[in-house]
Amino acid sequence: MTSRASLKGKGKAGKGSKGSEEGSSAAKCVKEWSTWAMKKAKVITHYGFIPLIIVIGMNSEPKPQLYQLLSPV
Amino acid sequence: MGSSVSHAAAPPPTAVGLAVALPPKQDEKAEPKNVDWLNLPCPVPFEEIQREASMSLKPELFEGLKFDFTKGLNQRFSLSHSIFMGSMELPSQSSDTFKVPTAHYEFGANFLDPKLMLVGRVLTDGRLNARVKCDLTDNLTLKINAQLTNEPHFSQGMFNFDYKGTDYRTQFQIGNNAFYGANYIQSISPHLSLGTEIFWLGHQRKSGIGFAARYNTDKIVATGQVASTGTVALSYVQKVSEKVSLASDFMYNHLTQDVTSSFGYDYILRQCRLRGKLDSNGVVAAFLEERLNMGVNFILSAEVDHRKKDYKFGFGMTVGE
Repeated sequence: MTSRASLKGKGKAGKGSKGSEEGSSAAKCVKEWSTWAMKKAKVITHYGFIPLIIVIGMNSEPKPQLYQLLSPV
Repeated sequence: MGSSVSHAAAPPPTAVGLAVALPPKQDEKAEPKNVDWLNLPCPVPFEEIQREASMSLKPELFEGLKFDFTKGLNQRFSLSHSIFMGSMELPSQSSDTFKVPTAHYEFGANFLDPKLMLVGRVLTDGRLNARVKCDLTDNLTLKINAQLTNEPHFSQGMFNFDYKGTDYRTQFQIGNNAFYGANYIQSISPHLSLGTEIFWLGHQRKSGIGFAARYNTDKIVATGQVASTGTVALSYVQKVSEKVSLASDFMYNHLTQDVTSSFGYDYILRQCRLRGKLDSNGVVAAFLEERLNMGVNFILSAEVDHRKKDYKFGFGMTVGE
């Protein structure tokens, strides 16, 4: 929650300064948002990659049963 | 076009009798084929130029217990569980070896399709190893390799775009820390291929260029690599028979004045695969994979470093394909 509030604050400040200085702060904005996007992408990949493989695998033909995921046989 | 040429070269009727009397010349080896310079074979990818030497001389030696279980749910989808208990070596600047006892459980999922390959492994400490290989078109392949950790700034990732032409291959790499690399390899004869690579490290402002050559026939593979980082690597592999091959390797680093040379053997027998090597640093290593039963493999690994007095022995089992 606090992180979301601080992010909104940063965005407003960025937009405010854009009016006064163009060019450099626009590039800074892009860099900031792209760094934020990379961080989010890293977290999503870290938690979601293995579940993604499992989902793709369980939906491939011939469809395996759910109990086969957990049983050692 | 071919038929008109043979008609022109047809022998006169008198010579036909003489040709029948003399026995035709028969070579035991195959006749030397005319090289079709426009249809050369595709070379191996640049990073696999020393593949045969690496497979024989650098098996995955380990110390401790290793147990791998792979369970296939499907022809394409499988899960793997792996346990390792032993010491891992940490790289240290001094000549002492620094070993850390570790134990971890690793869970993995693989999805292998001819067009899409997804391999993921996650360890108990939260590290994720991900590999993706996707065939975008017939000739263009995208490969992604990533190691993600929970600690910040320790994660690594690399994107590779591979293009395969008729007798050449080219690859473009983008990695984290602003790493950019490209390499190109071309067949210039049915047996010889030459390649080159360049890379640029953004954060450290370092760049380098390297050249490589590979000569292979059915029996031998000889490669050489030179890089502007000051390394020279040569290797030679001789396939003595169907089951035995011998390999040797020479590495020279000009900046650290490091010279290493190693000799090894690789026996691929019906029930086992035995690889051993002897190094100029005083290291003797051996790696045995024995097939006990269908899908059950027993592994023994040994590495004895006489100079550093470091002795590593490991054993393990691999169950599943």
